[in-house]
Amino acid sequence: MNGLERVATALQMKEADRVPVAPLVCGATHRVAGISYEEWARGGNVEAMVQGHLDTAKLIDHDGFCMLIDLSVEAGDFGMEVIYPLNDTPHPNYDNNFLKGPEDYKKIQRINPRKGGRMKTVIDMVGGLSKQVGGTHAIVGFVYGSIGILSMMRGPENFFMDLMEYPDEVLAAIEVVDDVLIDYAKAQAEAGAHTVCVDHLYCSQSILSKPLWEKFEGPSIKKICDAIRGAGALVSLHNCGNGIYFDMSEKWANPVAISHAYLADDVTTWEEQKTKWGSKMTTIGWMAPGPVAMLGTPDEIEEEVKAEIGAMAKGGGFILSTGCEFPPNSPLWNAKHIVDCAKKHGVYSK
Amino acid sequence: MTNEREQELIKRLQEAVINYKPADAKKAAEEAIAEGADAYKMTMEGLAGGMEVVSEKFDTHEYFVPETLLCAKALYAALDLLKPFIKVQEGTVRGQVVLGVMQGDVHDLGKNIIKAIFEASGWTVHDLGRDVPLKKFVEEQMKTDSDIVMLSAMMTTSMVGIKKLIPMIKEKNPKVKIMIGGAPITDKTVSEYGADVTADNAPNALKEAMKMLDALRKGKM
Repeated sequence: MNGLERVATALQMKEADRVPVAPLVCGATHRVAGISYEEWARGGNVEAMVQGHLDTAKLIDHDGFCMLIDLSVEAGDFGMEVIYPLNDTPHPNYDNNFLKGPEDYKKIQRINPRKGGRMKTVIDMVGGLSKQVGGTHAIVGFVYGSIGILSMMRGPENFFMDLMEYPDEVLAAIEVVDDVLIDYAKAQAEAGAHTVCVDHLYCSQSILSKPLWEKFEGPSIKKICDAIRGAGALVSLHNCGNGIYFDMSEKWANPVAISHAYLADDVTTWEEQKTKWGSKMTTIGWMAPGPVAMLGTPDEIEEEVKAEIGAMAKGGGFILSTGCEFPPNSPLWNAKHIVDCAKKHGVYSK
Repeated sequence: MTNEREQELIKRLQEAVINYKPADAKKAAEEAIAEGADAYKMTMEGLAGGMEVVSEKFDTHEYFVPETLLCAKALYAALDLLKPFIKVQEGTVRGQVVLGVMQGDVHDLGKNIIKAIFEASGWTVHDLGRDVPLKKFVEEQMKTDSDIVMLSAMMTTSMVGIKKLIPMIKEKNPKVKIMIGGAPITDKTVSEYGADVTADNAPNALKEAMKMLDALRKGKM
């Protein structure tokens, strides 16, 4: 089986030849591409970015590619100032929020993600990889959800208070952002993404109550996910919060898979997670990026791989990965070791 | 001021914080000041008392981040008025902390909630903000002689700075305690980086800080 077949089999809740493995190696590929993190993240050199992903795959031999650049891609295109450190993850400049007060939500304009900016970079990166390895590897597009984007443009603290103090202004802005995200997600599907992953970070106990998340992002994520399915791709989600609302995710997004680092809010162990949610959606996860993928010794990584495969792999529905982006400053050797250990311990006996 | 009136003001401050009503908190604080109430008592029993309930609600998932931020907003509406009238009393001062988000990291939500809870509980918080250069933590600890330095990192790229920073702080002051927190931080990070403790939320951070301060003051650590 190739990587794509392996991933597709897991998503159908069946056992492939072995457990598919795809640590979320995104920013770290800049080192293989031979360009600085800043140049990579600014997105002006799509060719190098595509080649970086391809060469990384030659090194670590994973089964799929994730098209995340960083979470500020969409906010930046909507007008938020983004800071690009030379060797660090880009981030919004919260000293200069695009949305300085609740009255500014109406400043947000519909933009064309296919025309320019870093959303176009992501679309082009999907297209470039699809052309080269679309028949052999899973290509996962990436969209940050509407309230995540708005929190970056307003500053998270202000935004969370606005949800309760200025709900109408926020809801009106979400409508505008949604229109753009729908087109953005469709464009990635059309460019060859097999699945488009929507990050609904705030759908967890870490941040919002269930009713508040549902009010602001439920209908929004449904529109985006319906558009992804309409464009012929599968829907997946990413959430690295704690106590994820899987019931809300199912209700509003109905994904084939969730990439996650922690358990659902209604279970207490990974075994329970498998029993309760494992037949409904594939888990992509859940190796801790810091303690294991970055700081783990080879033995610790191997033990973790064995434990995760032991808990989740039976019957398919599991793709071994990091629970969030593979640390961009972490040795790629660790990513390779994760893949090697999955090959060693993840073989399904027929 | 009668005892009944004092209790009434304390209750109003508590309820204003718990129900996130900044205007009510401000009004109760203004009345307390005008009537010569003990500002320290109003802060500790009213505002901190209210924040204690908020912490419990946060712990039990009744309140989440937005509710807690609004409670903190109500707290500061009153605390900013009461602060100038607080007379430092012997034996009542808690500790001092230096608090900040690591260089290269702008995620300061957790840090701000911690600040509110610590200030409400009588701690002096030297907040350095976000994206703080390593040297600044060392300088601020030296300048303020704070008991604890609290470092926050939400990304692995900023987390690595902690490993470098802890020896820099300890070299200047071996007794200072270091608490680290944020999404990528675990007990393993604590031991590998030479920190003293981590906490997964603000109420637990306060409990751990109280323990460390108590031990420091008794000379155990």
